[in-house]
Amino acid sequence: MGRGLALRSVNSARSAYACFLFSPLFFQHYSLDSVSEQDSETIRCQLLIKSILPLFRCLTSIERNVERCQISISSPNGRVMVQFFCRHGITKTHNLCFLESEALQAAFASHLCPNVLKAPARLLGDIVMHFPVSQEEITLSMSPLRVSLRNYNEGGNDHVRIMYTEMSLHPDEFDYFQIGVESDVTFCLKELRGLLSFAESHCLPVSVHFGAAGKPVSFSVEDMVLEAIVVLATLIDSESKGLSQPAEALAVTPSRCAEAAVLPVGECNRSQTQDVPAVMEMIASSQGSPMIHTPALMLLLPQADGLSAADEACATTSPASSTICSLLFRAVSSQQADGGCAARLPVLACCSDGEEED
Amino acid sequence: MPLSTQSQADDEQYVLVASLDNARNLSNILKAITFKDHAIFNATPNGLKVTVEDSKCLQANAFIQAEIFQEFTIKEDSVGFQVNLTVLLDCLNIFGGSTAPGVSTALRMCYKGYGHPLTLFLEEGGVVTVCKINTQEPEEPVDFDFCSTNVTNKVILQSESLKEAFSELDMTSEVLQITMSPSQPYFRLSTFGNSGNAHYDYPKDSDMMELFRCTKTQTNRYKMSLLKPSTKALALSCKVSVRTDSRGFLSLQYLVRNDDGQICFVEYFCCPDEDVEEE
Repeated sequence: MGRGLALRSVNSARSAYACFLFSPLFFQHYSLDSVSEQDSETIRCQLLIKSILPLFRCLTSIERNVERCQISISSPNGRVMVQFFCRHGITKTHNLCFLESEALQAAFASHLCPNVLKAPARLLGDIVMHFPVSQEEITLSMSPLRVSLRNYNEGGNDHVRIMYTEMSLHPDEFDYFQIGVESDVTFCLKELRGLLSFAESHCLPVSVHFGAAGKPVSFSVEDMVLEAIVVLATLIDSESKGLSQPAEALAVTPSRCAEAAVLPVGECNRSQTQDVPAVMEMIASSQGSPMIHTPALMLLLPQADGLSAADEACATTSPASSTICSLLFRAVSSQQADGGCAARLPVLACCSDGEEED
Repeated sequence: MPLSTQSQADDEQYVLVASLDNARNLSNILKAITFKDHAIFNATPNGLKVTVEDSKCLQANAFIQAEIFQEFTIKEDSVGFQVNLTVLLDCLNIFGGSTAPGVSTALRMCYKGYGHPLTLFLEEGGVVTVCKINTQEPEEPVDFDFCSTNVTNKVILQSESLKEAFSELDMTSEVLQITMSPSQPYFRLSTFGNSGNAHYDYPKDSDMMELFRCTKTQTNRYKMSLLKPSTKALALSCKVSVRTDSRGFLSLQYLVRNDDGQICFVEYFCCPDEDVEEE
């Protein structure tokens, strides 16, 4: 592309999407032969990850031996050529066939997300480190007074035997904190770890955009020469009924996140959006910057709108955690809050003396 | 040492006696050619040659000169037998193959001749084990008729550079193609796998290239499955010579230094795959 080289992938359940965009400045040399593709000088090709990943697998040996790497795409031949010019004059050339080209973009307007966080590079990595590697899903909760991350477990029957981990952060820990709607979003942690370690290694802050449960959450980093984003589907509130539901709601698909709102990922010609007005190309460069938002979204206290969102959000918390939360809530305040959290997110560690109830 | 207290009378019966203070000097080399169960041993006054073959298309030889052994006595011009190489290696490592410094297994290998088992006396830390391995009629190793006069192309490379290439080779490729030429690309290894092809080029003036003597451009393909075992020898070696002759037969010779810094050789011969046009 004229804007650079974009590498995108989506998982088979279509619940996780990643895109890394390297601007031409990232490279020592970047040239696009304009007599190639039909539409606006964009070449698209699709490679099997298992073809290209092994070439870059052994990072230490690459660092030690490779002096220069050249990637060329030749559309007429259907080939991508990756050449490594190594020490001692050795050259390694890999010609990979590409599969039929198709565009891959997730329709997600990050600048329309009500909730935005920007965390320093290591913050999220340090938090995520506390969750066991086997932990599949975590829940990110945001309220005006705190942000928390906790593990998510379906199947409430065994909840007494699972270890719960929760970390809360004060808004001041973030470089940027904007809350439009209080929400809990639950997503797959595994797919995020790669981006977080990338961010840490490049010392880039991570921006998080999300809304109510069920809407996707995005994690992105950017600097002068590259932008990277991972968009993950979040669980919809399918188990408001209680413990008996989870088995059906999060059924037999290999990834539980598949039951979540499937990301509208598809051909860029079709606009497959949910309630986003237009198809947005996620990497629309810094112009669709998350920093721009309408004043109406700057809600620091839940209001009437926030109420329904909070309801929805409450329902998505796993029965177990809402039980625990509501127990603590009862302990803190003398009020009898019901299981539905009385339209208020269970706030654990705040000075809720029952005053600001609505 | 217990091994040397064996009676002289016993020694008279043996046609071959070979002793090593460190059995690893033998077992390490043998590991480099263990891709089949059986090995043909041939001992001459010059030393020991161990041969392993695969389907008459691949042959690996390990040479351990007489000088490597602390004792090497042979009563005939040539002593040959065949044994199960896996069993032999298990015996050589019978004390567990410890890598603690200063601890090594001493070996005394004795053979009485045709029809007798191969007897191994192994000692470590005062404990002696005697192993007797049945021998078989030695088969005649295939003579690839590879002589230096027919060699069209020869290069000697430092193993370091080839080790990486071989570890990265695309295993979905059925063949490994070797191109040697007095002109570009000089020395090239190519694979043709499921996702595409790959080429590893070594120019003739590379630091890794110790000798480059190519007279004509040749491209030959060899079955990957046959050459795969040679990576074990490559891993042990510090230098490798690659030669092809006019028929396209491949000879790989590996220079291996053992624990004591002595030099041994391992050699692989491979037949080319059916004639193909250059890609």
